Amino acid sequence: QRHSQQDSHVQYERVGADVTMKCGSMDWDAAVTWTANGTDIDESHLNGSYLILKNVGLSQSGQYFCYEGSSWHLKYQTNLRVGTPPKEPVLMCRSNNYPKGFYCSWHLPTPTYIPNFFNISVIHGTKDMVCEKDSPPKNRCHIKYLQLFSTVKYKVTLTVTNALGKNFTTLTFDEFAIVKPDPPESVVAKPVPNNPRRLEVSWQNPSSWPDPESFPLKFFLRYRPLILDQWQHVELSDGTSHTITDAYAGKEYIIQVAAKDSDIGTWSDWSVAVHATPWTEEPKHLTTEAQITETTSVSTSSFMAPPTTKICDKGAMVGS
Amino acid sequence: LGAGQSIQQTYDLTRYLEHQLRTLAGTYLNYLGPPFNEPDFNPPRMARAERVPSATVDLDLWRGLTDNARLAANYRAYSRLLCYLRVLDGQVGTAELRHRLSHFCASLQGLVLSIGGVMSSLGYPLPAGPVGPPGPPGASAAPNDFLKKMDDFWLLKELQTWLWRSAKDFNRLKKKVPPAVVTLRLEARGF
Repeated sequence: QRHSQQDSHVQYERVGADVTMKCGSMDWDAAVTWTANGTDIDESHLNGSYLILKNVGLSQSGQYFCYEGSSWHLKYQTNLRVGTPPKEPVLMCRSNNYPKGFYCSWHLPTPTYIPNFFNISVIHGTKDMVCEKDSPPKNRCHIKYLQLFSTVKYKVTLTVTNALGKNFTTLTFDEFAIVKPDPPESVVAKPVPNNPRRLEVSWQNPSSWPDPESFPLKFFLRYRPLILDQWQHVELSDGTSHTITDAYAGKEYIIQVAAKDSDIGTWSDWSVAVHATPWTEEPKHLTTEAQITETTSVSTSSFMAPPTTKICDKGAMVGS
Repeated sequence: LGAGQSIQQTYDLTRYLEHQLRTLAGTYLNYLGPPFNEPDFNPPRMARAERVPSATVDLDLWRGLTDNARLAANYRAYSRLLCYLRVLDGQVGTAELRHRLSHFCASLQGLVLSIGGVMSSLGYPLPAGPVGPPGPPGASAAPNDFLKKMDDFWLLKELQTWLWRSAKDFNRLKKKVPPAVVTLRLEARGF
């Protein structure tokens, strides 16, 4: 019957390292038994009472116990965590709620398999700024602008530390360079009754943009029929709606919108795509006799282009 | 020209100048050469460069500015920036760059006049007192060429930032001063 008694702790080792574990205070030549995650370890891994693990891999992480041979007293226990030191973290800062402030988010290019601790410092000129961290596991924090229209750059340094090493990265940027709104929201596209070539598109400012009155956004609309790859674009300096007037009749369209502060920064990502098809005339409901004549005439003309489209309009023919 | 149109015109001129300055500053910084034309160049700001009016402002304070104070701040800033820019213009070695700088100075002069026009149309007095730099720009000239270039670097950066700020200033004013209201007020004063 195995008795737990000895101190246990976490032991971090690098992938590929050679690891030697002593069985607590037991002599080298004492008879012992080692287990890993409850499984006895083969004698070939022992050198006397020492456990030797060569070129450890991630799969060798786990709970290691050493028991005294005869009394089965637990003499040593450790939680072996095999991992890697952190690589240079990837840091990104962005102001999607200008002029309130900006946020920085980060991640490691490759996992380390052991716990990492991040420390971020934000310096503006000579001033240290507070970065309010989101609750884990979100690697993100938020900085409030105290001043606007500054020519002094912001310097953000992110340091990552784990038991096997440390790394850092630094970003230096101007206030205006990181302004990038979120995409417009609630994008809606609707046909316009009795207008086979129009689509009405409307959207809203991103809810994260705090003061569109003082910091108006301009928009970029792109649209294309599903059957074509080429987008059409239109830039709109104000307002949150637009009527497309050159849609191909009867063709389903895909539409997206992007936003940008009217003076500074960069364009948002594209909004969620919406689909719409321009209005088309309802087929008329006729009496039986009229239907027969209608059907004979329809079958001979069903390949004619829609009335509103010019027969020689090459573009339309591509779509029909 | 009503105040509303005058503000819109001033806003448009600000946007035009901001666009012009972007390319002009790039050309000028290339003329200054490394490290001034490197994107990450982040020099300390020497005392002389502190004389250039700074666009930096506390956010709440900026929001709370009265229209008069907002316009006056712009008027003073560009009047002083123009003086510094003219000194720059006089020292440039290449004719093409000098020409572009002169053209920009003329446009900036237009902006100062335009801001003055808005202030007058709203019934505000132009800022009193010396609007130019404290002493003749050369009074405490930079002791060496590198520091002179640093001053130029900060002048252009501050000017760019002012133009961004002004775009927001005039955009705010545009929203607060619709043309119709102003005409009524003028009539009430027997104009």
